[in-house]
Amino acid sequence: MQFRLEKRAEPSRFMLYATPVGAVILTMIVGAIIFSLIGYDGIGAVREVFLTPLTNAYKWQDLGIKAAPLIIIGTGLSIAYRANVWNIGAEGQYVVGALAGTWVALATYTMSGPWILPLMILAGVVGGALYAAIPALLKTRLNVNEILTSLMLTYASIQLIYYLIRAQWKDPMGIGFPQTRRFAESAQLPTVIPHTIVHLGVPIAIVVALVAWFIMSRSVFGYRMRVVGAAPHAARYGGFSENKTIWLAMLVSGGLAGLAGVLEVAGPFQRMVPGFATGYGFTAIIVAFLGRLNPLGVIFAGIVLAITFVGGEVAQTTIKLPDAATGIFQAMVLFFLLAGDLLVRYRIRRVVTTPAGAA
Amino acid sequence: MDASMPHRLELIGITKRFPGVLANDNVSFSVKPGEIHALLGENGAGKSTLVKMIYGIMQPDAGEIVWDGQRTVVANPKAARALGIGMVFQHFSLFEALTVLENIALGMDAKIPARELEARIRAVMTQYGLLLDPHRTVATLSVGERQRIEIVRALLLDPKLLIMDEPTSVLTPQEVEQLFDVLRKLAAGGCSILYISHKLHEIKALCDTATILRGGKLVDTCDPKAETSRSMAEKMIGAGLKDIVRAPGRTMGLPKLVVSRLSTKKSGHFDVPVDSVSFVVKAGEIFGIAGVAGNGQNALLDALSGEILGEDKDAITIDGFPLGLLDTTGRRRHGLCAVPEERNGHAAVGDFTLSDNSILTARNRLGMVVLGLINSGAAKTYTGKVITDFAVKALGPSSTAGSLSGGNLQKYIMGREILQRPTVLVVSQPTWGVDAGAAAAIHQALVDLAAEGSAIVVISQDLDELLALCDTLAVINAGQLSDAQKVGEISVEEIGLLMGGVHGTSEARDAIPA
Repeated sequence: MQFRLEKRAEPSRFMLYATPVGAVILTMIVGAIIFSLIGYDGIGAVREVFLTPLTNAYKWQDLGIKAAPLIIIGTGLSIAYRANVWNIGAEGQYVVGALAGTWVALATYTMSGPWILPLMILAGVVGGALYAAIPALLKTRLNVNEILTSLMLTYASIQLIYYLIRAQWKDPMGIGFPQTRRFAESAQLPTVIPHTIVHLGVPIAIVVALVAWFIMSRSVFGYRMRVVGAAPHAARYGGFSENKTIWLAMLVSGGLAGLAGVLEVAGPFQRMVPGFATGYGFTAIIVAFLGRLNPLGVIFAGIVLAITFVGGEVAQTTIKLPDAATGIFQAMVLFFLLAGDLLVRYRIRRVVTTPAGAA
Repeated sequence: MDASMPHRLELIGITKRFPGVLANDNVSFSVKPGEIHALLGENGAGKSTLVKMIYGIMQPDAGEIVWDGQRTVVANPKAARALGIGMVFQHFSLFEALTVLENIALGMDAKIPARELEARIRAVMTQYGLLLDPHRTVATLSVGERQRIEIVRALLLDPKLLIMDEPTSVLTPQEVEQLFDVLRKLAAGGCSILYISHKLHEIKALCDTATILRGGKLVDTCDPKAETSRSMAEKMIGAGLKDIVRAPGRTMGLPKLVVSRLSTKKSGHFDVPVDSVSFVVKAGEIFGIAGVAGNGQNALLDALSGEILGEDKDAITIDGFPLGLLDTTGRRRHGLCAVPEERNGHAAVGDFTLSDNSILTARNRLGMVVLGLINSGAAKTYTGKVITDFAVKALGPSSTAGSLSGGNLQKYIMGREILQRPTVLVVSQPTWGVDAGAAAAIHQALVDLAAEGSAIVVISQDLDELLALCDTLAVINAGQLSDAQKVGEISVEEIGLLMGGVHGTSEARDAIPA
C-alpha cells in the first residue's frame, strides 16, 4: 500500500480556506513539541503565545495596534503577489514612508492645524511608493530581480534612519539621544477609543482592506493583477502590458507600506527612533500568504500574526520564552501553509499496488 | 478467448470512472502481432484514458488487460516498457539545450554507456531509415526530427507494441509519408502499432483495423479500407456529418486587411521572427497560411494581434486605417480579433471561470467595463450565449476554463471571438486536437463570419483543413511568406515543397532519405 498525489480537476475551495487554519493548528502542536524538547514548558508556551492575547481583554488593544500595520502592508503585498510581483522590501518602504511623514512633522513643528496630519499621511504614501519605484524601474528597464533589489533597499532605508536621527533631525533637547523630537500635537495620530491606545490607524486598516477587496474583485485593475499572475501570456493577449503591471503592483504595495509607516510613527511612536523598524514589513509577507492573497483574508491573518507578537511578549515575561520564539512560531505558520498548499490542487489517494507484470 | 490466433494485446471490459465522467465503459478489443490498429474517437471519447491504462499511467477500475495471452497488471510506465510497450506522446518531453543522444540517454530505464548507446541508436536509425544526427542539439531540430527522437527512444526498447498518439499533427505531407514507411517496416517485423488519430484518410492509408470509441463506449471495430472517411467520421460523432455550407454566388469585397512588409525582431533564443511579410485579405475572404510548426507562425500571430508591438504604423491596416502601432486592446477596438494556437495559458486562463475569460478579450468591444469596474453580469450573459451558440460542453459560465476538454475550450474561445463580430479575425490552429464534429462547427462558424463580410486569416499546419476552408493560400517558411495562390490552382505537392523550404534549408535536405 502506498499513497499517491492526484491532481484535482478543479482547485479545492475547501482546502483553500482550510489549509491556513490547519497551518496555525499544526504550528501550535509542533511548537509545543519543539519547545518541550528544548526544555521549556511547551504547552504553556503555545497557551501564552496563541491564547492569552485572546482571553485577556486588556491585551485586545495591543492586538489592534499591532494588527493594523500588518493588515495595511499585507493588503498591498497581497495585490502585488497576485500579479507575481515579488516585493519583499515592504519593510524598507514602511521605513521610508515613516521618514517622509517625520520630515513633514518636523518641518511643520511650529505650526498647527488639521491639515498637517493628512499632509504627513500623503507624504508617507508617496515616500513608500517612490522607494518601491526603484525596484520597479530596475525590473522594467534592466530586468533586475525585484526580490533582490527590494530586499537590499530595506537595509539601506534603516541606515537612512540612523543617519537622519544622528544629524539633521536629532532632537535638540534630547541630551545626545539619537532620536527626533516628539511630534507636535497636530502631527500625532488621535486615538479613536477613549482611554485606550487604539489609534486612527486601526479603522484605516480595516477600510484599506475592504476597499482593496472591492477593487481586486470588481475592477479592471484587480482583474489585471489576477490575470497577469495566473497566466502572463494570456494577460499580454488580453492587452495588459507586463511592465505597466509591475509598476502598478510596486507603487500600490509600496504606497500602502508607506501608509503603515507614517501611521506607526505618528501613532505609537510619535517620534523617529533607531529601533523603529520592527519587522512588520517582513511579517506582512506571512500575513499576505496566510490571508490567501485576499484582502478580507488579510484582515484575519493580520490578527493571527498580531496575536503571536503580543503573545510572544507575554510569554517572555511569564514563562521566560526567548524573544526569538515569536519568529519561530511565525515562520512555522508560513512553512506549514506553503506545504499545505499542495492539497489545494492535489489530493492524496491511497493506492493498492499488486506486483507488476506477468511477462 | 480466440485460441487459433494469439493476440498481442487484448482488452476485456475495461472500465474507468472519473468524478462525474465514465471515461471508458466496458471497452474490449484486441491487437494482433504486426497489426496496425487505429484508435479513433472524438475528444473526450476516452482514447487517451485507454492508452494511459495500457501504458500503466492509470489503472482500470474494472476489466482485464491480457498481454501475449496472460492476464497482466501494468503498474506503471516502467513496467509497461519492461513488457515491451512503447509510447510516443503527442507532446514531446525533450530538453532543447541537450543533444539527441543526451536526451535519449536521460529517458532510458537502464544505464548504458554513451558509446554503446550511440551504436544502438545508429543501428535502429539505419534499420528504419530514420535520419538524425545523434550529436545535434534538439533546439536546432524541426518538429518532425524531434518526433524521430521519441520514436528512436521507443524503438531502442525493442517494443512489441508501439502506441502513437496523434503523431502526424505537426508534420509536412512528405514527413508523414516517411513516418508511415517506418511504421510499416515496424509492423512487417512483427511489432503491433496502436495508432491514435482523427485524420481519417491517414487511417485508411495506414491501418489494418480501426476501433472507434464514442463517449467512452466502443462503437465499432471495422476495416478502415472497407469504410469511407465519411462513414467512419459519422460513427465517431454518432450523427450525420455536416459539410461546410457556403452561400451561393459569394463575391469578395474590397481589401480589408492589408499587411505590408511586417517584420519582427528575434526575441527568444529558439524562436523564428517574421521577415517582411505582405498579404492582402478582402472582405469575405478566408486566407490560409500553411507551414510546418516553428517557421514564424507564432511571431506572425503575435505581430498581427498586437502582442508584439510594431514600429511601422502602416504595416497593418484595416480599411486603410493604420493599426501598426496599437496594442491588442487598441486593435480589438478597431475590429481585429485574434486566437492564438495555445489555448490554455494564452487564449484562456485555466484557473479562471469562463465568464472571467470572456472579460479577457471582450470587455471593451461589448461594454463589460463601466468606469473601471467590471460588469460581471454582462460577462456572464455573453458567456452563456457563447456556450449555447457554440454547443460548448460546460456546466455554465462559472466553470473554470481548465476543466473543459481541449475541443470544448477551443469551441468556447472561437465562439468568444466570433460573436464579437470582428472585422478581421486571425486564428492559429483553429481545430488542433479538436474532434471532427467540433471542427466542422468551427469551420462553419468561420465561413459564416466571412459571409457577413469579415476578412479571416487562418494559420494552420493541417493542410486538409486549409484546402477545405480557404479561398486563398500562402506558405510560411523560415519567417517568410510565399506568394498567395488561389486554392484549387495549387497542388498539394507544390505546397509541400514550399513548406519544406524553397530556400533549400536543412529541413528540406533532411526530409529526403539519402
